[in-house]
Amino acid sequence: MTGEMRNQAGRTEGIVGAERAVGRISYRGRGAGLRIAGSASLFAACLFLVTACSQEEKVVNGSVQNLPAEEGSGEEIGTANMAGGGDNADDGQAVDGTGTDGGETAADSGKGYTFVYQGVTVEIDADAAPILDQLGEPVSYFEAASCAFDGLDKMYTYHGFELDTYPDGDKDYVSGVILKDDSVLTAEGIGIGDTREELEQAYPGEGAGAGQEENGMLVYEKDGMKLCFILQEDEIISIEYRSTVLED
Amino acid sequence: MERKEKMRKIIKIAGSALVVLVTLWLLQRLLIPKYVDDVVEGAFIAEYYGEEKDFDVIFIGDCEVYENFSPAVLWQEYGINSYIRGSAQQYIWQSYYLLEDTLRYEVPEVLVFNVLSLQYNESQREAYNRMTLEGMEWSLPKVKAILASMKPEEEFLDYVFPILRYHSRWSELTGADVQYLFDKKQVSHNGYYMRVDVKAAGDVPGGRVLGDYNFGEKAWEYLDKMRKLCDEKGIQLVLVKAPSIYPYWYPEWEDQVEEYAAEHGLRYLNFLELREETGIDYDTDTYDGGLHMNLSGAEKLSRYLGRMLSEELGVPDRRGEEALAGRWEAKLAAYEAEKQAQYAYYDMEEP
Repeated sequence: MTGEMRNQAGRTEGIVGAERAVGRISYRGRGAGLRIAGSASLFAACLFLVTACSQEEKVVNGSVQNLPAEEGSGEEIGTANMAGGGDNADDGQAVDGTGTDGGETAADSGKGYTFVYQGVTVEIDADAAPILDQLGEPVSYFEAASCAFDGLDKMYTYHGFELDTYPDGDKDYVSGVILKDDSVLTAEGIGIGDTREELEQAYPGEGAGAGQEENGMLVYEKDGMKLCFILQEDEIISIEYRSTVLED
Repeated sequence: MERKEKMRKIIKIAGSALVVLVTLWLLQRLLIPKYVDDVVEGAFIAEYYGEEKDFDVIFIGDCEVYENFSPAVLWQEYGINSYIRGSAQQYIWQSYYLLEDTLRYEVPEVLVFNVLSLQYNESQREAYNRMTLEGMEWSLPKVKAILASMKPEEEFLDYVFPILRYHSRWSELTGADVQYLFDKKQVSHNGYYMRVDVKAAGDVPGGRVLGDYNFGEKAWEYLDKMRKLCDEKGIQLVLVKAPSIYPYWYPEWEDQVEEYAAEHGLRYLNFLELREETGIDYDTDTYDGGLHMNLSGAEKLSRYLGRMLSEELGVPDRRGEEALAGRWEAKLAAYEAEKQAQYAYYDMEEP
């Protein structure tokens, strides 16, 4: 049987398990010369080992062990974030967001740009469970197993936006929020259909805080997450909050 | 007397060095992940080297080849001797160097390349790099593949001496690390990763808006290199897009591939558009909601592709070759055994 059968959902453990699994296999008895050469070269490895072992373990990529767990930096979370003035996005009305002060904050460390929906603050890389509890039943749900990686990436679609998660161990964390239409806004009051000028007024950052062009997007990076805007002829056609954890 | 003493000293030093080297070599073998239990995809690339290499068709690509095509069916129904050189999220530059690597041993008649990886213009994760690159035998193509793949934070020496990368893995060692210290079990069937279970495709999200739909320069560069190398060696290059409905395959991407194929006279099969012809049923032929085909889906695709390879590209039926047929007999037995084991594991009836 090929390995241990995975369960029907796909992978079970979380991406860290897969990251740990990276490595090589044996050369299956071939290439004695190569082995001798390899052994000789290991002598040199002694020297590197001494160095490597004496230093902190190098984290090469993708590990989500170091998720932002620190409690709030005190940075104010903006108000948000449903266009218009109703109190329920699901009926197509626009609702003023309540931001940190008025809303339930399932995960609210105050880091990065946050999205607030009906008083629920969604923070990138936060534990998804309490957020999902508060958001209630999604309109639709999709899950996908990444190739060779344990666990499932999950996509919850709500009216006006999609919330994506990635697994790490027993928990899922928020990997992104994608605004789908103009019924929802960012915490800074920007929505799909707004202009570049309105965007730049809402995000007047300078230097490192300013939006950077990246793969056809205008990207604002803050506390290890990204807020990405795609514009077409100076009109915003896509808004996405993204984790950078999986980019490493 | 003095000379004898000197000799003794040299022997002592050499002996000590040898002990250190052997110890380090053993440690390295122990610490490197074995890819035999859960994440088996990291073992696929290396399995090729244990094969008798006279394949007529080589598949190269990511999970859209190693989960979606079954060389066993190509053999059983068309006598086509094929192998899949694929691994998880295998980037196009890795696929190109795997082609170079393959050509060190053999020149196939047909190369089937899956185009999904054109979406990447740089490596995304070190873990995926490792799963492809560490399985390659040392050669110039491997060196070039490493250099083309490394992310900024990676070091070439970590590939040369994997113990540098894995020295802290000692706390995660399992019984498998000892059991497969020197050898390992076969985890693929000529590079094919079998799954018999079923999970129907449900609500699959559409593609999100992208800032730029154009494939990157590096991706094009390596597709060009692949095409030119195939031309040079007289290999027929066939481009395919597997019928996986997620990740989303954008119409803008499709247009670019179609245009490229037309411009260079290449065959291009988009199996997303051949659902009726292949008979793919997303209720029964996928094990993960439409991302990858299960055995049923892979066998359907293989039948369709096999007919094309055989009738249109003239790939020979080699079932009459005694030695090759003998090798395939053993392979088919293993294929059947795993199939039955999986049906039992998932408590399923064979369809």
